[in-house]
Amino acid sequence: MVGEEYVYEDLFERINYADTLLPYDVEKEFLPDVVIQPGTAQEVSKVLAYATKHDVPVTTYGSGTDLVFPTKPKHRGITMSTERMDSLEINEEYQYLECGPGLKTGKAIKALGKLGYFLPIQTQAGSSIGGAVSINTIGHLADNIFGRPVHNVLGLEVVLPTGEIIETGSKCLRRSAGWDLGRIFIGSEGMLGVITKVRMTLMPMPETIDAVGFFKTDEEVGHVMTRMYQKKLPLPMDGEFVGTKACKLGCDAYGLDFPEGAMAVIKAMGRTKEEAVRNAQEVVDLFKSEGATEAFVIEDPETAEKVWAVRENVMRWGQEKNKKGGKAIEVNPVLPLMADAIKSLERITEGRTDLIAEAEAYLYGHVGSGSLHCYLTYPYGWPAEKMKQFVDAIWNVEKELQLKYGGIGGDWGWFPHRLPLYRETYGETSYAIIKNLKGLFDPSNILNRGNLEGEV
Amino acid sequence: MKEDTLQNSIEEKLSEDLSACMKCHLCNLFCPLVDTRVTQGSYGINRSIYYGIKWNEFSESLRDLVYSCTTCGKCEVMCTKVSRALSLRELIEKTREYLLVEKMVGPMPDQTAVLKNMHVRGNPWGNPSHERTKWASGLDIPFASQDNKVEVLYFVGCASSYDPYGQKISKSLSRILKQADVNFGILENEVCSGHEARRMGENGLGDYLAENNMAMFKEADIRHIVTGDPHSFYTFKKEYPGGGNGLKVQHYTQFLNDILDQGKLELSTRIDKTVTYHDPCYLGRHSDVFDDPRKLIARIPGLTFKEIENNKKLSDCCGMGGGRMWMEPPERLTSSQTISERRVQQALDTGAEILLTACPFCNITLTDAVKSMGKEDAIEVMDITALVEMAL
Repeated sequence: MVGEEYVYEDLFERINYADTLLPYDVEKEFLPDVVIQPGTAQEVSKVLAYATKHDVPVTTYGSGTDLVFPTKPKHRGITMSTERMDSLEINEEYQYLECGPGLKTGKAIKALGKLGYFLPIQTQAGSSIGGAVSINTIGHLADNIFGRPVHNVLGLEVVLPTGEIIETGSKCLRRSAGWDLGRIFIGSEGMLGVITKVRMTLMPMPETIDAVGFFKTDEEVGHVMTRMYQKKLPLPMDGEFVGTKACKLGCDAYGLDFPEGAMAVIKAMGRTKEEAVRNAQEVVDLFKSEGATEAFVIEDPETAEKVWAVRENVMRWGQEKNKKGGKAIEVNPVLPLMADAIKSLERITEGRTDLIAEAEAYLYGHVGSGSLHCYLTYPYGWPAEKMKQFVDAIWNVEKELQLKYGGIGGDWGWFPHRLPLYRETYGETSYAIIKNLKGLFDPSNILNRGNLEGEV
Repeated sequence: MKEDTLQNSIEEKLSEDLSACMKCHLCNLFCPLVDTRVTQGSYGINRSIYYGIKWNEFSESLRDLVYSCTTCGKCEVMCTKVSRALSLRELIEKTREYLLVEKMVGPMPDQTAVLKNMHVRGNPWGNPSHERTKWASGLDIPFASQDNKVEVLYFVGCASSYDPYGQKISKSLSRILKQADVNFGILENEVCSGHEARRMGENGLGDYLAENNMAMFKEADIRHIVTGDPHSFYTFKKEYPGGGNGLKVQHYTQFLNDILDQGKLELSTRIDKTVTYHDPCYLGRHSDVFDDPRKLIARIPGLTFKEIENNKKLSDCCGMGGGRMWMEPPERLTSSQTISERRVQQALDTGAEILLTACPFCNITLTDAVKSMGKEDAIEVMDITALVEMAL
């Protein structure tokens, strides 16, 4: 169906397509029986029709860079990778890009950049556009400016689990105001169909410049970001936050002489460089008026690189205390509660009786887009079982915090482990509707079986 | 029992180091092996090693993956910048040694004869030892020895001794050194530096070859080595005992800049060409020599220099490092030709007429890629020595 050379039964192929970013190993019983790489929608169609007919589970795989485990096969079967479908057409006349789902965002960003366009999906460069659209994520960008794929996708080609190939949307820039079937597939985490083509609107590349502010406390960053929205300032493309403890680690690691405390760094943008600088200065002025110990527009690339290095140091936090690795919590507080949520995260390990009490916590996040993280690091030597308990504890605390601060999140392909949060937030009727919807599209429940059921 | 313990300790060490991987996949972003599958890249290789050890699965399939790495080390740049700063290249090389010595599934079938040739004849191709210096006939280059001491030893390396493309480099460099009145010589019985043996996991052979060369250096009282082979340059400085036991080791780009600074050489002939430069992995990323080649190129009158897309620390591999010169991975893995053609395309994108490099391996590989792409009319691959000689 896809050509013998694109069917992989080798053990190591099956491992690499089943292992996830979870901090414990994949078990043999969760390896797919086979990994395949179809090259066209027609090939996808043949495989899915066969799988539906013979009740073979199919797990969809974009690039495997999700931070949880939607790509881990829960019921073996076929893992279908879209990596080969990586075509790219940039149509400047119509102002859209059309690509295969396997196209890496990094490649798209580079190709678009050469023509002066911007991809409103800034996930890690190795992630796939199909994956990002399936999860409806834009990475760290602010929703208020760029929208999400559900707003920027003009049309999709989708292969249904029963093998039919459908098209949604059009090539015109005006999207359907009424029913638009395409929206159902965006964000459904590959559970309703396999996206085989994505058409998105082009966006002009903005000019950008970085600015930074240092604050005595972490909460102040929460306050200032809330104020940024409330004062109607020009929103930055990126608004990142590094908590006091993590900031010190980054500064020590790179020998930087930045003021003590928490750091907020923004990437201001404008149609021209002058406009970007002006917008950055407005945010810097806000930082100063809201108590920043120091704030400035970053004029030279060397300083910009150092500032971002502090933020990028995240995966080494905890090493100074001999922690092996970490797992991040995602909390998306409603705007007025941003500072309170930061305060809660600062004390996340206090008074707990579960394994989180043994973790070292570091705060960071994408405050510009209302997303906070707490990176919980764990020590060397924890066995897999304990690690699983730790991850469970993290999901529990994440649920508590999301419910408390009004968030729901989902940028990581979240459904399986956040099913309890979904049910509590939206109720059983809502859950029953999406289950019925899944049954409508996928009567044999072949696609990503177990994810909607919350199997982890 | 003792052997079992040793085996366990190597496995434990590899497992422990690899378990620190955050599985972020970011190393794959830079890996030249990634074509369309995660398993093809650095991430897939290191995870395969990890699970291979965990599940005691040391198959030929694992071997193929482990030996497909070019050891370019670009993955480490990314891992160091934003992840756990793992020594991924070292882990892969340790695994190769483990597969070869303990599990007897390494090296790749084509490499077995290569290692034997290195051992028996002192070069990977198995050419007769006595033909090693044949390239130098007519050039009047003395053999360095106890009785004929020289200020500078030109360590030629296997590729520049035997390969026709490589010989262009050794001949050009020798004529340049002669023009500058450098008191230099070559070794009559030079053997492979052992660099590629180590890359294939044969560290014992690497040590043996190093001992041979070190004995000759000692006998001829060599204090200063200049080489045109970045692989030998790297292994002398970083893998020979004591970093070459006090030897001054230079790549020719460094040495030629020195003698140009001293006024011993003058480049006066104008060459009106547009050029770009490919950083060889073992000269650039692994040895931090980025400026000397560019400085030397800039000294050639008339040249217009265009920087290639991925350069310096982020230079892409030509595809032939890490022992891949003598093997082609199975079809399911990325071919060397794909890697080298990708690099040539980047050079073509600069609009350069000449793709310069400073490594015989890169020269051979990229020249072949230009031919396989049918781009001989658009771009020519040259070693910097060729242009320096033309500019004399």
